Formats: sequence, C-alpha cells, structure tokens
Amino acid sequence: MKLGIVGKGGVGKTTLSALIAQEYVARGLRVLAIDTDSNPNLAFSLGLDAEQADDIPLLPRSVVVGKGGDGSMTTAELINTYGAVTPSQVTLLHAMRITQAGAG
Amino acid sequence: MRSVLGAAIDEQADVTLVDMEAGLEHLSRSGGTLAYADVLLVIMEPSRKSILTAGRTIVLAEELGIPRVYGVGNKAQEGDREFFEEVCAEYNVPLAGIVPADADVIEADRRGELLAPGEGQAVRDEVTRIVDFVDHALVGIAG
Repeated sequence: MKLGIVGKGGVGKTTLSALIAQEYVARGLRVLAIDTDSNPNLAFSLGLDAEQADDIPLLPRSVVVGKGGDGSMTTAELINTYGAVTPSQVTLLHAMRITQAGAG
Repeated sequence: MRSVLGAAIDEQADVTLVDMEAGLEHLSRSGGTLAYADVLLVIMEPSRKSILTAGRTIVLAEELGIPRVYGVGNKAQEGDREFFEEVCAEYNVPLAGIVPADADVIEADRRGELLAPGEGQAVRDEVTRIVDFVDHALVGIAG
C-alpha cells in the first residue's frame, strides 16, 4: 500500500508521517518511508541524529524520475543500498525534489 | 518517483509512506511523484492558507486518479472540529481524523527528536484512528 502525505509547509506533515509509520510498525508491518524534501527532516522524527541523517545517500535521479529505473538494480537492492533502518524500525529513503532532479 | 513507487515496491514493504515536500509539482500528470499512490492524506491546520493549498491539492489528486483522497486536520484546538468538517464537506473528501495541538509534539520538534514513548498520547490515539480509517477504506475497496 502506497500512502502519500501532502500539505502546505508547516502543517505537520513530517511529524504525522513519522507517527503513522510507527503505528504501522506497531501493527507488525514492514514500513518504508520516503522523504522527498530537499531539506529532509523525517529522519529526526524517526530517531536518527543529524550525522546519521546526513549519511543516508540520495536516491539516484534515474530512480526518482525514470520510467522504470535504469534496470541495474532490483527494488530490493535499491532499498538495501539507499535505505537506512531507523531506531523506530522504519526503513528510510531520501529522494531529492523533482524540480532539482530535472525533467528526466 | 514513478519507478520507485511502482508495483515492485509492494513486494518489499507492506506500507510505503511518502512524506512529500511542500508544493504541488509532485501531483503533475507527467512523472508526478505520487502517480501511484493508493491513498493520499492531505494535512491541514486551522489556517486559511493551509486550506487553500489543500483545496488545490485535492483537485490535482483527483485529476491524477488517486483513488482515495482524505483530509486530516492537525494542530486542532477546541472548536476546530467544525472548521475541518466544513472544509472537507466543501471539498467533498472524507475527513480521516483531527489531530489535537499538543505540547509534547511541539517540544519534540524543538529538540529535533523522536516523540518519546508516553509523550503525545492524544496525538498517538488519533493517529491510531486515522490508520484504522485508512485500513477500513482499503478493505472496503479490495473486498
């Protein structure tokens, strides 16, 4: 199930995203969270510190805007390579914003 | 994120949650980041600006064909329930929940940390109800 959290800046998207992700973990589900903000903060709400958050590699542009990835990695490999397991047991990915990624 | 959010990710995670940057370009038809979302939660606070953004977002989400678009009120004070209910009625989207303003959440934000266990219980309780709401909506469609 793919769940998008949207809204104006400052309404509390990140805090609610973290709490919703943790609620699904508490229900025994495997949860992947993707932060698309160019200044990502979800990492903190999932329990990482600034240094750990900075260490999470950005998903490559081809994966973010491509039509089917570049075929060099499976989805599982992508998550293993770019995902960070957080203290709240949510796996976190960092994706750059579309406008910076270009039109593809 | 079309490719990341394509079908294959559902094999790797039961729930993939996308915390979107502010802005509406992720809802564009060409390569919109949320083209494959099953559920969209549109977060609002009791402010006119956030409501206007929500309205534009809901229109785009429906054009994009996202099947379940729900409103969520956040930072609610006494008396805001009616405000959020009226807004969702106007936009013709179900209201998935109303999350109260909470001092623990503000303090955790200030620290830049995870909300500690036991903190923000009223907020957690409402998040539980919102997740129940989403789950019931999905079961209803699938069944």
